[in-house]
Amino acid sequence: MPRHASMRAVIAPLVFCAALTLGLFHAAAPARANDDPKAFVDAVAVRAIAIISDDAATPKQREEAFRDLLRETADLDRVAAFALGQYLRTPTPEQLAEYRSLVENFIVKVYVTRLTDYNNEKLEVLSAQMRGDTQAIVKSEIRFPGGRPPVTVDWWLVKSGDGYRIFDINVVGIWLAQEQRSTFSSVIRNSGGNFDALLEHLRAQIDKAEKGDLSGIAKLD
Amino acid sequence: MRFRTGRTARPRLLAGIAAITMLVAGGVALAGDDGENDPLEPMNRYFFELNKFFDTILLKPVATWYDGVVPEPGRDGVRNFLDNLRSPVILANDLLQGEWDRAGTTASRFGVNTTVGVLGLFDPASNWGMKQHSEDFGQTLATWGTGEGPYLFLPVLGPAPPRDLTGFVVDSAFDPLTYIYWDRPKTVPVTRFVVNGVDQRARSLKTFDQIERTSIDFYATVRNLYRQSRASEIANGQYNFDTLPDINDLTFDTNEPNTPGMRP
Repeated sequence: MPRHASMRAVIAPLVFCAALTLGLFHAAAPARANDDPKAFVDAVAVRAIAIISDDAATPKQREEAFRDLLRETADLDRVAAFALGQYLRTPTPEQLAEYRSLVENFIVKVYVTRLTDYNNEKLEVLSAQMRGDTQAIVKSEIRFPGGRPPVTVDWWLVKSGDGYRIFDINVVGIWLAQEQRSTFSSVIRNSGGNFDALLEHLRAQIDKAEKGDLSGIAKLD
Repeated sequence: MRFRTGRTARPRLLAGIAAITMLVAGGVALAGDDGENDPLEPMNRYFFELNKFFDTILLKPVATWYDGVVPEPGRDGVRNFLDNLRSPVILANDLLQGEWDRAGTTASRFGVNTTVGVLGLFDPASNWGMKQHSEDFGQTLATWGTGEGPYLFLPVLGPAPPRDLTGFVVDSAFDPLTYIYWDRPKTVPVTRFVVNGVDQRARSLKTFDQIERTSIDFYATVRNLYRQSRASEIANGQYNFDTLPDINDLTFDTNEPNTPGMRP
């Protein structure tokens, strides 16, 4: 039990943060903080929180706002390529095209739109560290009103062309893109290397998210 | 006499199971290895589904009830009390890892919370700058250079690869409660185990649902989350930028104009 339990404790705020931080992606979109990774993350946070806390928005509008933000601030192609791991070269051009659009939908519909409750959490940017000329890691904390201890969030940024883009996010020690890569390759491997299996699983999950939407989660509080 | 043997047999049984699974898992791992180091995946998936089933019919309903009926201060008291009870195990592992500062923190926390904190029901030490941290013998083994070994998922225990399963058994030898209740009825240790499980589950109701919903393969996701969170715990929350994967030239058509190593 301790093993399992401690894992649960660690990942407890994970999805919330994932959603928030993905939301943050979208937020940072117009950030012209080309050279300052901290300012970039800050701007993303501001925009994401604006989307989350906009009570007037319909779910559809929120979804579209998130999608725009994601496109503008995340290096989606790199994330999608990374998530394929050793299977990067296996899909046909048609499969690849579908995979890329499914991944975007997966992130927007399955992760981000789950984020419905915003309670005045704040994102505090703490420090930035460079890796070569083109990558940076920005450390930050989500702070909660009331006594709850803060949650650490690290942002792995990659400079591409005009400015920084988000490549991966680490929430309490867990890299989200690495988790996706592990899960995606597991699905392909378990179906004997059949790339279509991954597409099917992605479609099914997106479908579930569209139909079931927040049922089950809403029940809890 | 008969009863005594029956009771004392349990820790030995656990140790025996650990030893056997290590042998079995180790042997299979030699036989074949894929990217995930999960040679017993079919069996693990079976136990995973089994645990999920018991979670659905038992643990989750109880945890949901607990979450709804017991007010938050009460649940926090339970959590603090259980955490405080674990201090000797954490202290032993702090020391074995040579983390003297953290060992001092653990000892002070235990002293403060057991007295000022009313037998551990409150956690005043946190407010005095002595934050809680966790250690276990699996982490200690890792800091000594022991690898995790092939993935293993067990009924009730959940993810328990050989290194961490061994840690679980050794930790119970560090726990004074093991000796206090060595040849007495196991009501207290069992209650502690169950309440701990219910409380942990109650704290992750929403999270677990969401992780399941956001995963295209829940088993594989849990496996990876377990490994990443363990790695992070072992490193006490630190990581080295240089050990992260190289993604600089990663694109869908790396083969075409920008082959790695051919950068301008």
